Amino acid sequence: MMTRALIEHIEGEASLYFDTRGDKITWAEIAFPHFRGMERMLEGRKATDALVITPRVCGICGHAHLMATVRAIEAAYAEAGYPVELTRKAKSLRELTLVLEMIQNHFKWLYLVIMPELEKLGIEGLAPAPLKGAYAAAQATKILALFAGQWPHSSYMIPGGVTCDPTHLERIQAAGLLDELIAFFEKETAGVDLDTLLTFASCREFNPLQSDFGRLEKGLIAAGMHKKGMAYDRFVVLGEHGFTVRARLKHTRPMKADASQVATEAAVCRDEISHARNVRYGKHFYEVGPLARAIAADNALIKNMHRRYKDSVYTRVMARVYETALLLQRARKLLEHMELSEPSYIPPVALERVTAAGEGIVEAPRGPLIHRMRLVKGVIAEYGIITPTQWNLGSSVMSDPAPAQKAMVGAVDIAEATFIFRSFDVCSVCTTH
Amino acid sequence: MHSRLYKPTLIWLQGVTCNGNTHSFLNLPYLPQLLERFEVLYHPLLPCTQSLAEIARCKRGCNVLVFEGAFDPEMERAGTTLKQLVGHYAGEAGHIIAAGSCASFGGIFKASAPERNSGLAFSGEHPDGPLRGRVGKVINLSGCPVHPEWLGYALMSIADGRPVAVDDLGRPTALYRHMAHDGCLRNEYFEWKVDVEQFGRKEGCLFYEHGCRGPLTHASCNRTLWNGVSSKMRVGTPCFGCTEPDFPRRNLFETKTNMSIPEEVPVGVSKRAYLTMTGIAKSFKIKRLEERLIDDD
Ligand code: SF4
Ligand code: SF4
Repeated sequence: MMTRALIEHIEGEASLYFDTRGDKITWAEIAFPHFRGMERMLEGRKATDALVITPRVCGICGHAHLMATVRAIEAAYAEAGYPVELTRKAKSLRELTLVLEMIQNHFKWLYLVIMPELEKLGIEGLAPAPLKGAYAAAQATKILALFAGQWPHSSYMIPGGVTCDPTHLERIQAAGLLDELIAFFEKETAGVDLDTLLTFASCREFNPLQSDFGRLEKGLIAAGMHKKGMAYDRFVVLGEHGFTVRARLKHTRPMKADASQVATEAAVCRDEISHARNVRYGKHFYEVGPLARAIAADNALIKNMHRRYKDSVYTRVMARVYETALLLQRARKLLEHMELSEPSYIPPVALERVTAAGEGIVEAPRGPLIHRMRLVKGVIAEYGIITPTQWNLGSSVMSDPAPAQKAMVGAVDIAEATFIFRSFDVCSVCTTH
Repeated sequence: MHSRLYKPTLIWLQGVTCNGNTHSFLNLPYLPQLLERFEVLYHPLLPCTQSLAEIARCKRGCNVLVFEGAFDPEMERAGTTLKQLVGHYAGEAGHIIAAGSCASFGGIFKASAPERNSGLAFSGEHPDGPLRGRVGKVINLSGCPVHPEWLGYALMSIADGRPVAVDDLGRPTALYRHMAHDGCLRNEYFEWKVDVEQFGRKEGCLFYEHGCRGPLTHASCNRTLWNGVSSKMRVGTPCFGCTEPDFPRRNLFETKTNMSIPEEVPVGVSKRAYLTMTGIAKSFKIKRLEERLIDDD
């Protein structure tokens, strides 16, 4: 018998339909009911208008959409025979603001979603404090805004670079704000200084921590989450940045990753119309996101967790929170080495000369985000968006479940299954755009 | 002292949206203090006392309804259509806040489905949304997304029992009486008609060639800065006019010109006067405004 659960306090809402034996979950289907038609809206517009429209796909990762759009336009330029030149300054500014958006995402997820939801499973002593997440996220986006003007919904990346022209004044301001954010992270989230946390190589090192991260680690074990929620143990990272390694992995064995193998199909849900699509690499489903990125980058701590507890909820959740630390360090490095003497922007040839297709890939907070466009004289003829959540949260048939479906089967009850579902960091607005 | 008993109840509902207004709101520096002043029955992300399923049963009312996103009558939240939800809660509430341009005028998601989607009281600039005629009750906080401080201003005014005066489009005059251009650091370049040579420069105005809608847009982005520190024009991005009913316009990074004069002139200025002024201003050569400001780069 199918039982429906409405999932809220995600970005938008989703429905889960469960088959149960006793309380135990034997099958789950996922529906995302809302659809907005973002891709169609772009057709007929000049490509640069997409820099303003696509960030509005998603209020929490709009900056990743902006970057995917600008990369897609630049790829179309290159395809048309006019490669776009970017200075190191423009590249590092783009990466810095992308990293800051990921940081705000992870803070919100930890404090507004995962801690309160874990407590609902009956885990004591977590002391969830949702507003800490809002505070830390606002601090991260303040730094972002110094360069990008505002968050959410900046459009400061343009083909050929960025619109801003920061001086050392902004760089020093940003470094001060970042130090404050890192101090908050060390005191409240980690309970240990950032550099020490980044040397951790085993989950045992969390034992003495009196902090939110420490309590989360213990709480996940107490809830048995180290034995729950395994998906395929196959991962994909596609976006290329200073902080990622592009790879496809079976367990931890790396293989080549080629974005042309990525294809989508309609999601399956028998009880409700879903506007979601499933994404596969070749014939298979893969998991994407912070866990995939950590394994691809050979991160010692997360690989240790993975060795013990495989791709369980524990490893997935810990990888996301730990990524916050890696990204804070990355932001610090980017600011320290910010080269301000180069131009921000090198004008490319007129957009009207571009009749070509382009693809832009970015690692968004939840995994690879792909924008594909076809331009005729600089005007959008076709636009396609593949979002990270479509990789993880697909809904397929019983003989061939998508990652989140596979992870939920076997859960002891619906409450546990929905927690497993949330371990993927659900975003409904991205899933259905 | 505000006794707990007298806290107004608040429900935050979402229509067709990107959640950007919710996330913008989370940036409000005094968010914890503001939340102390309300009893939040429902919010899509923040702690609240009821679930969406309970809210969707439309049993109780609330004092303040915040609505984010475009209104699509058929869209469902937890199985209840927006038509029913908004109908019920808007009828009960003393104050309705349309948070963002989609809820105010339809915005981006009216552009994606113009036949179906609209704002709450307006559809574009026309007052024919489902809550038309409730002037004074529906406060339009347009902007894509809404600025957190604008929302903070409206909600705190409500909590304090202070009336909020609005303009013809239902927007609080205290926030939308100014132009986005007010307080822009490029104003001197605007006066002397010196456009930015190319994007990525802090020297020059973005009005003449680069699409800036600052002088045509009612907003206070350069008075109350975004995220407390910045604005589009401060980082060399043109204003796209996101608080106006015609957002999103087309060709957003360029200015439509006629004989190299912008086709639209600043709000309230006669075109003829503007042309004369431009001619005079342009006849000056001001060296300071033609040089780079900082040469260490
Ligand atoms: S850039 Fe825009 S807002 Fe700034 S002075 Fe020029 S026209 Fe005004
Ligand atoms: S500067 Fe213009 S486009 Fe940017 S937020 Fe303000 S009104 Fe909107």
